Amino acid sequence: MDKANASVLYYCPCTGCMRTSEAPNAPSEVDAEQRPLLSTRGSAVQSGLAVMRLWPIERLYYCDDCSEVRCPRCVVEEPAGYHCPNCLFDVPTASVRSEKNRCARNCFQCPLCTHVLSVVEHDGLGRDGESAGFLLSCAVCFWDSRAIDWVFEKATGISAQVERLKAAEASSKEYANLLDYWRSVQRAASHRPATRLSAAASSAAFKHRLAGSGTHVSAATTVDAVPPYKAACYENDDHERVAQQMALDDARSLPFSADQYNRSGEPQRVRLHMKLSRRCRICHHILIKPESKAQATRFKIQLIAANFLPSVTVPTALASPRSRVSVLDPIPAFPLRVGSTVPCVIRLANPLYTEMDVTVAATSDDDVTVDVLASQFTLPPFAELWEYDEEEDDESTAAARSDDSRRGIVHRHGNRVAIRLDLTPHTQVDSLTIPLHIICSHVDDMPDIDTEDTASSSRRIVTNSFWAYISLGTMHQASK
Amino acid sequence: MGRLHLAPRALVCKNAVIEGDVQIGNGTVVHVGASIIAKSGPIVIGANNIICERATIINNHSTPLMIGDGNLLETDSRIEGRGIGHRNIVQVRSKVTGSSTLGNNCVVSATCSTEPTENVPDNTVLYGNPQSRRTRVDADTDHSAVHIKHLEYIHEMLPRYNHIIEAE
Repeated sequence: MDKANASVLYYCPCTGCMRTSEAPNAPSEVDAEQRPLLSTRGSAVQSGLAVMRLWPIERLYYCDDCSEVRCPRCVVEEPAGYHCPNCLFDVPTASVRSEKNRCARNCFQCPLCTHVLSVVEHDGLGRDGESAGFLLSCAVCFWDSRAIDWVFEKATGISAQVERLKAAEASSKEYANLLDYWRSVQRAASHRPATRLSAAASSAAFKHRLAGSGTHVSAATTVDAVPPYKAACYENDDHERVAQQMALDDARSLPFSADQYNRSGEPQRVRLHMKLSRRCRICHHILIKPESKAQATRFKIQLIAANFLPSVTVPTALASPRSRVSVLDPIPAFPLRVGSTVPCVIRLANPLYTEMDVTVAATSDDDVTVDVLASQFTLPPFAELWEYDEEEDDESTAAARSDDSRRGIVHRHGNRVAIRLDLTPHTQVDSLTIPLHIICSHVDDMPDIDTEDTASSSRRIVTNSFWAYISLGTMHQASK
Repeated sequence: MGRLHLAPRALVCKNAVIEGDVQIGNGTVVHVGASIIAKSGPIVIGANNIICERATIINNHSTPLMIGDGNLLETDSRIEGRGIGHRNIVQVRSKVTGSSTLGNNCVVSATCSTEPTENVPDNTVLYGNPQSRRTRVDADTDHSAVHIKHLEYIHEMLPRYNHIIEAE
């Protein structure tokens, strides 16, 4: 048995996934009230579908409005702020679009190796011994912006300087002119039908037009009224020549350099990153809300499952070597013999500051029968003090310990309780996964905000139930 | 144990591993933990080189391994070839392998390596993953100014915090 491979995954009953109608094998220990909770699991356990819904607890969220586990697929993500990953400038959401989702300061990517470029001083001398300007330079591939004749006057606001350089190019001027022209056409197209609408709304011919070829007709009628396009930089016959001479070997005869279309040779501004906040897909309750500042790594709201649900682990050793408590080996020795019962230990830990009542139930399947000896027990609350308590607590009397062991509780320490499962395999298996249904309830005595009556704090009982899949890893067959 | 020839202004830390017949030129700095191993033939290092921590220069050939002037061999780089020219930068975890050589003003970027038998021409930059190469047009002007400042700083700071091998 490879102990390192033992893992525990939690099941998320996503509504986004397919749900099977087949009834599960309900565990004998679970009473009728808890049976509906099991139905969400379906027969997906055995099918490969279950794998799609299983997550380690650290990747799960917890919606305290729905009292449900939420996995990354059943949360909604929305941007909580934009920043440049290089200079960590917080870009206001309003200006993200106008800056085309890229950093509008000094951050550029190398066109060759995509490393971030740094601004360096040109080491040549300008007139009168002054600085000859600044360059963008790559520390990895040693590309610098002299290769594309980009030399800047100032070391700051490089993006704006690049914009000015580009605006001076004939192609950019022509593009801006074209953009203006077609905007004016669009404006005319959108205004004309509106004025006609009032006059000719009742006209049968207009209705026919509208139903027929719609926008095309209205655009065609209005475009006629707009003056023809007049080029800003190129002669009108340039366009004809371009159309005639698009062969690459004639590129020199174009009124502009064909290289100007090859933008890949220019550094691109660094793309902005965004921080995401996450909401429950069902009730839109906010689960994760990061600090909006790029430098901050904290979260304003962080509802993660590990803070609400008991963590289930497969211990490799149950007590410290100094402890006198004798316990059985937590993980059974493999290969298992068909028909014989072997013990296995799992440990549950309570993350809450309140006591938690836990019910554990298991299903039987074709491979293995799992018998949970301690099906109901109480997890003590978490306290920081436990973290520093290295000694085993010897407060529990011998009588209490023997009572515990009779009930299947192997070990208690701090907020952790280790319980024993008895496994009876029916077939020889290479790897063993045990599904366990865990129901935990605790008293939530937070003051009720809705009633604004702090004196009568509502002591509601919160019950969570979830499936945990304990994979005992790959079991190596003993060589004969 | 071979002979170690140190020029008067060479700065070699005692914790560097130097084996075999090694000659180190004026102004060259060998950091703590660098290895210079003249295994099959001698190693001759020129002036004003910087050999950083864990950098390894190893001569597997009977001919001398010549390292020119003003080179920067960064952390964990490895020089196994037959020699390198002047003002090269061999960046972090990069390699000059087999029997290859570097010309002048070359850059082997982080984690890149030369082909085992090639002679890399002057001003070549090896960079990226997958590895590509280009020729730099800016010659050596940028690097040399920075390199001189780097050397000045190390010559001032290194002896304060490390044991230095005294030149004979």
